This record gives sequence, C-alpha cells and structure tokens, in this order.
Amino acid sequence: MAQIDMRNVQKFFGANQVLKDLDLTIEDGEFVVMLGQSGGGKTTALRAIAGLETVTSGQILIDGAEMQHKKAADRDIAFVFQSFSLYPHMTVRENISFPLRAVRLGAADREKAVNEVAEVLQITEHLDNKPSALSGGDMQRVAIGRALVRRPKALLMDEPLGVLDAKLREQMRAEIKRLHIARGSTSVYVTHDQVEAMSLADRIVILHDGVLQQVGAPEEVYLHPTNAFVAKFVGSPVMNIQDAAFSGLNGSSAVHIGGAQSGFHFPEQLVNHVRNTGQPISLGVRPEAVLLSHEAQDGYLAAQTSNIEPLGSHDIVDVLVGETVLRARTESGFVAREGQQVFVNIDPAQAHFFDGASGLNLREAN
Amino acid sequence: MAGVQTSAEKWTNRTAIAAVFVALIIMLTPIYWIAATAFKPRNLATTIPPTVVYEPTVAPFVKLFTKRSQLREQPTQEEYDNAPWWEQMVFDGGEKVVRNRKSGEVRSSGYGDRFKNSLIVSVISTILAVGMGTLTAYGFSRFKVAGEDDWLFFILSTRMLPPVVVAIPMFLMYRVVGLNDTHMGLIILYTAFNLSFAVWIMKGFIDEIPREYEEAALVDGYTRIQAFFKVVLPEALTGMAATAVFCFITAWNEYAFALIMTNRNAQTAPPYIPSQVGSGLPDWTVIAAGTFLFLIPVAIFTFLLRNHLLRGMSFGAIRK
Repeated sequence: MAQIDMRNVQKFFGANQVLKDLDLTIEDGEFVVMLGQSGGGKTTALRAIAGLETVTSGQILIDGAEMQHKKAADRDIAFVFQSFSLYPHMTVRENISFPLRAVRLGAADREKAVNEVAEVLQITEHLDNKPSALSGGDMQRVAIGRALVRRPKALLMDEPLGVLDAKLREQMRAEIKRLHIARGSTSVYVTHDQVEAMSLADRIVILHDGVLQQVGAPEEVYLHPTNAFVAKFVGSPVMNIQDAAFSGLNGSSAVHIGGAQSGFHFPEQLVNHVRNTGQPISLGVRPEAVLLSHEAQDGYLAAQTSNIEPLGSHDIVDVLVGETVLRARTESGFVAREGQQVFVNIDPAQAHFFDGASGLNLREAN
Repeated sequence: MAGVQTSAEKWTNRTAIAAVFVALIIMLTPIYWIAATAFKPRNLATTIPPTVVYEPTVAPFVKLFTKRSQLREQPTQEEYDNAPWWEQMVFDGGEKVVRNRKSGEVRSSGYGDRFKNSLIVSVISTILAVGMGTLTAYGFSRFKVAGEDDWLFFILSTRMLPPVVVAIPMFLMYRVVGLNDTHMGLIILYTAFNLSFAVWIMKGFIDEIPREYEEAALVDGYTRIQAFFKVVLPEALTGMAATAVFCFITAWNEYAFALIMTNRNAQTAPPYIPSQVGSGLPDWTVIAAGTFLFLIPVAIFTFLLRNHLLRGMSFGAIRK
C-alpha cells in the first residue's frame, strides 16, 4: 500500500492544457474519488498516475519516490478500465493470473492467489470460462480480480461501473466499498456520477477544465462547496442558484430572486459581507433548504407551484418565485397538484452566496 | 411474420436463388473444364462439340511429371509388355518416356521442381509480408508517427505501378546483384509487392483492437513488446489469416515477374505451365493437369483458414 503525491502536474495535448498545476496527496489506504465532467481531466490524471500518460511537467511520487519518468510496469499499480479490458482469448483464470506471470510467479503460488481472489469476488465457478460468457457484473469482478491479485501498491479505477446498468451499478458499488474496507488498498476512482463519489469516497477530488476545484470529505464537499461549479455538480437534484438582489435595513435584510417584490429574510451577519460588494451575487440553496408551507407564516412568500416530480420517498416541487423557479424537496404528497398556492422560505443557515463572476463561495471566503 | 411469405416475397426469393445459380455456373464452368480436361485422353481434349462422357485417365499427369519424346517407331511387344502401366500410357499416346542412358532412371519434366519453387517462394514471402506488415501496422496504429498519412500513402503508392512497368529495370538490377533466377530474388520481390497491402489491411484490424488490452498488460508489468505478443497478436490472428490468404494467392499466381526473373533454378509453376504449349503440338491435357494441381494448394490453404476468414472478412464489425 502506498501514498501517492502529485506535485504541480501539468499536461498538454498539443496546445490544449488538460491538467493545470495539479497538487494532490492521496494518503495510504485512502479511497479517493476524482469527480468531474467528461473532459475535465480526471481520467488523464488517473492515467498519469498509472504511467499510461506522460506528464508535461511536475512530479508524481509513490511512497516518496519519483515515478513520472518510470514505465507503467515499474510503478506496481493496478488499473481497472471502464471497458473491463479482459483478454478475450484467455479464460478467466488466465486473465486473473496474467499479472502474476509477468513477475514469473510459480504455478502453484499463482493458482493459490487466483483462487483466493476468485473466492473473495465470488467468481470461482467462472474461472474456466471465457470472458465473453460472463455477465457485465462478473466481467467487472474479473477485472477487479486481475487488478488485485498482484497486491499492487494502489488500485486505480477509471469509471469501472460506467457500462453497467443502474441496479448492477449499485450492487457493484457496495462490493467495491466492502472490498476496500477488507483490503485497505489505496484506491483512486474516477467517475462523473456524484452519487458513486459520495457513497464510496473517503475524500472527493473535483476537477473541472483541468483545474482542481475542491478536495474534501463527501459531506464537506456537499455542505461547503468552494464554488458554484462544485455546488451544482454535487447533490441531486441540483442546487438552486439564482441571481440575487438585496434590500432592507435595521438588523434584518431581504434577499430577492427572480425580480420578486419581496425577498427572503436573512440575518444581517449572514449577508453583511456580500450585499455591498457592487459585484453581481448569486444565491445558492439546495432543494432541502427550500421550505414550503400551506399557511402564511412570518417570512414566507406566497408562490405558485408548477412541476411536481414524485419520487416515492419524497417529492421535488418547482415553485415560481418572481420570474424564476426554485426547486424544493418536500415529503411526498405535500403539494397535491400543479398551480397550487403555497408559501415558501429559505433556511438562511443552509444558503450560499456565490460571486457572480468567479463563482467563488463568498461565505467560505469570509 | 415468421414463416409466412407473401407470393411477391416468394418470387423475389426464387429469382435471387436463380441468379445465384446462374452466377455459380458461370464461375465454376472454367474450373470444371480444367478438371475435366486433366483426366481426358488426348484425342478427346479438343473435340467439337466437347466430349462430356469419357473414361477418365491419369495419362496427362504421368506426362506432366515425365520428360517425353516423340516415338520414331512403335515399341516392340516385349518392350510394351515389360513397361510399367504408366509408361504404357505414354506409349499409347505416341510418345516415349525419356530415361537416363546409364542408370535407366526416368527423367522428370521439371514440373515437380517448379511446383516446389512456387511453394517455397509463396510461403516464405507470405510469412515475411504478413509479419512485417503486422509490425508496421501496429506502429502506425499505436504511435504518433510524423507524417503518418503521407507515409501510409507512400506505402500504398508502391502498389500503384503495374508490375510489368518495373519488370525490365528490376531485371537489370537483379542481374547486377546476382538475384535473378534465385528463390531469394523472387521472395524479395513478392514480399515487397505484398507488404503495402499487408500494412493497410492489418492497420484496419489492429485499429479495431482496443488499446486498453495493451494498457492493461503494461500496468500489469509487461513491456510493450511482451504486450504485443501476448495480447495484440492473438487478437490480430484473424486479420493475419485473411491477409495471409490474399498475399499467398497473389504470390502463388504471379506470372510476369516470374517469367522475366527466372528460367531454371527458381522458376515457379505459372510461367512453366504455358511454356509446355510450345513444345511440339500443344498437349492440352497436360496443361490442364498442371493447372489442376496448381489450383489445389490455394484451395487447401483457404479451406484451412476459412473460419478465420469468415470472421476476418467482417473487418472487426463484430464486437469481440
């Protein structure tokens, strides 16, 4: 097991810079998920750690040793591909033992290691089949088995569940987590699925346009996003982010969105630092922090509901505020139909203000 | 609607089957003709209208492999009775088998040697062309090569001149370096000629093999050359088989260079067979026998590789 360090890593494809000054330390035994949109640089970062991609400048250290000029074979790292990449001409057993043959391990030891891994992954019965005879989930188990059998310093996974269907993905997610807890291997996992990231990660690394946006534990990234990109990318449904205007005096102030006449009341100390900057400011609030009521209450604004998405455990309700829409999370059946009159408020403690130009979270900056 | 056909569909089907049948007859008739002529007595080979029913004989094959001369006088009954059955066949045709004066051994016609030359030259040049072509294609497929498209076009352009255009200059050069009438000379020529084709076809096949296979092998501790042999090559076998069939057929059937570059030692079968037309009256049955045998290796080779070919012809359309 190992610690992985990326220092000032830059990567150009021609004139196109895909990694910009990437600095990241992955601790021994940690499960780190790199999250971002496609083209955000996360896969390139992973391949750079593995040695499948050279870096233009910067250092990659594994257990303190410089690796950026070493071949992939010399880094003692395992890689799981989205396409599984099982060799079609070999049986499952041959596939799993393939990395062991590279280090010229004896046949008996090889057999023992393969059986052990197969047992952990519950693929013993498939060992003599060709990969093409397996289901998608079993193929991925074999791919993970091939990665783990050598007991590598670190396990890198590039969207390993990307091609599986939703149900299987959830199941494999749980298995990967179980496996990580059992083996404690340093793992780096790339995905664009924030649910996967939240459920698996010790820490989430969010990359956008080759720039590191935020590194933190899942709840930290969720509750304290450093900027509007992270805020929007993490969490489902997406955080409401609206252009905001300010009014009010005397220890209480109001935040207006969508050009509405009346605003939401915020304690003065929460808006002090943003109301007079002269910059455009956005208000960000997650759907669960949008409060709905059937009766008029102090601080609640009258509003119409529009679209309702019933999700079983809860509903997502669109509420028209001024000319804009706030999405609210309610208990299921709270709003019976579209066009119903409700009263809406925002929990100021869960609200974020973002700089309209840079997207930075201004409360964080304070 | 499974099992239910409208009458229009039925007629479309029947027309299609009829068309295939006609096409088959047109294509198979020459092959039948060669095979039939190879087993005919000489006097029936050129009858008009053609003889369809006859008693087959292997005399053309006996004549094909032996050196013969015209009989000046009929053999005595004793000579005839003492001769083996195949020699009697030659006597029946008005010729006699030429024997070595001292040892009495039958002298061969040279067809066997020509056939062997064809095999040597075709097999070796096919192995070389497919092997080098696969490596080159792998390089073009996996690495950034400066001016890649230009290189590939250049490689293809070597195939653009008709061989006869370069045959004379090649012959002059070969004579200077002593490569004319050698196996090596023909092998080099055919390899060069097939290489461009092999590179292009194999590039298509290797492009279809996901890079992740090699990358997986690379992170699992293999060098690139090991990854190539253990992972890429087994996946490329289908394509190599298809390419090999094409290269083999090209080399096997090649006539122009073989005619110009070789005469005795390294001559292949294609220029030899028609040369038999010229000695005395043409014996079409012997020529047919030579051609018939000449068809067999390609048929066997293609038959052995048929499973690979069927998969290979789809050019990776099937996701493996």
